[in-house]
Amino acid sequence: MAEHSTSHFPADTWVFPQSNQITDEVMDRTTKKSKPFMVLLLISLTLVSLGIIGFVIRLTSQGLSDYSAWGYYMAAFSFVFMITSSAPLVACAFRFTKSHWRRPLSRVAELFAIIGVFNILLFIPMVITLPSIANPDFVPGAHGELAARRAIWLGSSGVPVGAPGVWNILSLVGLAVTSLGILWLSLMPDLAQSKHKVTGFRRTLYSALSGRWYGTKRQWNQQKAGLCLLGGFYFMLVVFVHFVIVSDYAMSLIAGWKDSILPPLYTIIAFQNTLGLLLIILFVLRKWGGYSQYIGMSLFWSASKILLGLSLLWTYHLFAFFMTFWYGRLEVESSILRYLMFESYSVIFWTNVLFSFFIPFALMVWNPIRKTAWGPALAGLSALIGGFLFSIRIFVGSFNAGDLYALAYSKVPPPVFPDLWDVFMVLGIIGVPILVYLVSIKLLPAMSIWEIKEGAMYQKMGKLFRGEYLVVAKPE
Amino acid sequence: MQEGRILTATEVNRDLLRSILDTPKWFWPAITVCAVILLIAAVTVGYMINRGLGITNLNRPVVWGFFITNFVFWIGISHAGVMLSAILRLAKAEWRRPATRAAEVLTIFSLMTAMTMPIIHTGRPWRILYWAFPYDFARGIWPNVRTPLIWDPSAILTYLTSSTLFVVIALVPDFAVLRDRTTGIPHQIYSLLSLGWQGNPRQWKLQIIAGVLLSALILPVFVSVHSIVSWDFGMAVAVKSWHSTIFAPYFVVGAVHSGVSAVAFVLILLRWAYGWQAYIRHEHIDALGRLLVVVATGWFYFFVMEVIFGIYGREADEIAVRALQFTVWPISAWTVIFVVTTYFIPVALWLSRSARRNLWIMSIACISVNIGMWLERFLIIVPGLANRQVFTFTWNMYSPSIPEIIIVTATFALVTMLMLLFSRVFPLVPLYDIKEGDILKTEIQIGRRVVPATYRED
Repeated sequence: MAEHSTSHFPADTWVFPQSNQITDEVMDRTTKKSKPFMVLLLISLTLVSLGIIGFVIRLTSQGLSDYSAWGYYMAAFSFVFMITSSAPLVACAFRFTKSHWRRPLSRVAELFAIIGVFNILLFIPMVITLPSIANPDFVPGAHGELAARRAIWLGSSGVPVGAPGVWNILSLVGLAVTSLGILWLSLMPDLAQSKHKVTGFRRTLYSALSGRWYGTKRQWNQQKAGLCLLGGFYFMLVVFVHFVIVSDYAMSLIAGWKDSILPPLYTIIAFQNTLGLLLIILFVLRKWGGYSQYIGMSLFWSASKILLGLSLLWTYHLFAFFMTFWYGRLEVESSILRYLMFESYSVIFWTNVLFSFFIPFALMVWNPIRKTAWGPALAGLSALIGGFLFSIRIFVGSFNAGDLYALAYSKVPPPVFPDLWDVFMVLGIIGVPILVYLVSIKLLPAMSIWEIKEGAMYQKMGKLFRGEYLVVAKPE
Repeated sequence: MQEGRILTATEVNRDLLRSILDTPKWFWPAITVCAVILLIAAVTVGYMINRGLGITNLNRPVVWGFFITNFVFWIGISHAGVMLSAILRLAKAEWRRPATRAAEVLTIFSLMTAMTMPIIHTGRPWRILYWAFPYDFARGIWPNVRTPLIWDPSAILTYLTSSTLFVVIALVPDFAVLRDRTTGIPHQIYSLLSLGWQGNPRQWKLQIIAGVLLSALILPVFVSVHSIVSWDFGMAVAVKSWHSTIFAPYFVVGAVHSGVSAVAFVLILLRWAYGWQAYIRHEHIDALGRLLVVVATGWFYFFVMEVIFGIYGREADEIAVRALQFTVWPISAWTVIFVVTTYFIPVALWLSRSARRNLWIMSIACISVNIGMWLERFLIIVPGLANRQVFTFTWNMYSPSIPEIIIVTATFALVTMLMLLFSRVFPLVPLYDIKEGDILKTEIQIGRRVVPATYRED
């Protein structure tokens, strides 16, 4: 590491890894298994086992026909899904904007693509349990009855073929395949370089995945164009899938809930949670993972500003939703406010706002905390708790809202608390991504070697007047 | 290699003060044309006040038409200032430097112009006094706080005040440069405005802190203004197509889209009119183009959500409005034109680097966006009101009258004239910002290539 103690910046702001050592160091950390890592692996395996027990007992006792029993399962799935689906996009977005500080973050985010495959498996019970759009008790000509509940799938000639289940599954498959494509393209140069430094199964895997990568100019251009195209496509897909999930599994299950801001609200909290989790992972990797020479403070400073922006943006959207319903004073909208915000789920709502807005805002607006590594990670943890509560409020609320086909509520339903099997299922669903991610970072390099090498070339310390500053190249 | 060479402070002062110290030949003819249009509009407004709103085509149920559409449009344009100046300043985007002042000034003049529209629309402007202000304390007559006539002036005047402060703070170092290069009365005025600026480290530090603080403080105001304007519509449950939770962010993103496009167009015009090729370079317009791709796509997402959830409710009166927007001639044609000009044409152009660096193509794209965004506001307001009632026999359509067209056209002349007059007395490209940018520019040798680079302050 180059010394820059005389510079304008506090120590550790920018890190200067040595290009010729990066591959060796990263691979060394990838293949080494520490005791804390094994403990974490064991904990996640235990969580997954509890989840399987909870799932089997819930399945055998209540089956999949009564969707109200699966509210907590859906909430936990949504929490995992919104984070893991947005993570590859975070990597692509900062690559698009050519943010210099993003380099250590890219691979940490892209590795979430592997969890996408498990998301599909976790989602299958939800496809089965989702009630039909058509009202089974509908009497033609009856006054005040709906032939079908409101949903995004209704066309002029009825429900499209396979909707909503098949289309939902296809959406998740599309996300998983595209994110794996992004991960593969990004991994290729690193694996080609690292395959000679590993042995056994890893060597076979790396050779297979790196293909005929020689690092020619043509290959680099193709790789960057591929990442750009897949990133653009993934962006559109992820926004669409969030819209589909939140419409089908939340809004359409509460009679009369017509809320065009819910999909953006869901997407924003997904991005906020993702960035929060990435900051926690990067903090852990920097502090205990041996990557302090790769993850500088500049990353936390820059990412924390975006976390602050996302927290504000989420609150703004929530306020816009609240104001429109509250000021409109329509009976059905007032009932929805009472149900999801101020009566049934009021405690969860206010805790959600506390963790998703007040705590991250207070931490990130205060420079002495924002300019540490732990401050943004703590704000990230708060955002994660808030996001989990948001999912509970929205999905448990929706799955237990009662008559789907009624136009409005006369009184709002009571809140639903989790039983033991719900708790087991929630722990299991959260355990799956932890387990998969832990295995992934030991199988594949957790740092994007080529991007870090590129970054090392683009930065140096330079003297300007009486101070020493970072100089960053902008080649394009 | 860097795009454009690094300029000396003397060159920056000479080039950027040219608009103030020399008068171009086209300047007074341009002002005259704008003034004539404004005069015609003033006469029209006088005639309208004398004869009443009956000379417009506003009638039940369409009681909001061209004036309110134009009001929302100019509020939208005003969002460019903060978007470019405050956000990019906080994000430390280097390419912001030549664009900030023009954006901030456009904000102020757009806001001032926007405010004239509801005042004219009232038909009896003096009544604003007792609709919006608590004019008579003695008799306990208070305005109705639940009306947009209270919300809008509060939001707009707060934004106008803070934007003006923002511009003035940023202008102080440039006032001092002007003070040192003028004599007589102009010298005295610039001396007064420069607040004793000497350019010492303490003053620079305070100026930078003030700029950053104002940038952060103005952001909530910026978001609140168009949100509140959107709630003029969104809170009206009687018009089903307006009562949508997404209206606030949808309006804000739309405003940023039209505002940034307008700024890009203004910068191209300034470059051409004042020969500022060394300052407003292709790379700056390119960066604006890239930013606009993101903003436009965000806007399109909100638009799609708004339409989908309009249909999602399957409520008869809202379906009737959507049918009018998408299937009834000529409104349907306007809708197609609006979507194509706002999103598909400009974004298709902006995706190409060479198109972003072609000033003609960029001008067309930016004008296209603003035509589309004007139509968007029209297509939200008029069809919503036209099919507002449950009973179809009360439906009615609206087309603007000649006085309305004249007054709306004159608002464009007003903003143009104010921008030109401003450029005559104050620099439209910030001198100190350009000089600072040039100091921070450097280069790095990577292999055989020399790559442009920048000193980072944090």
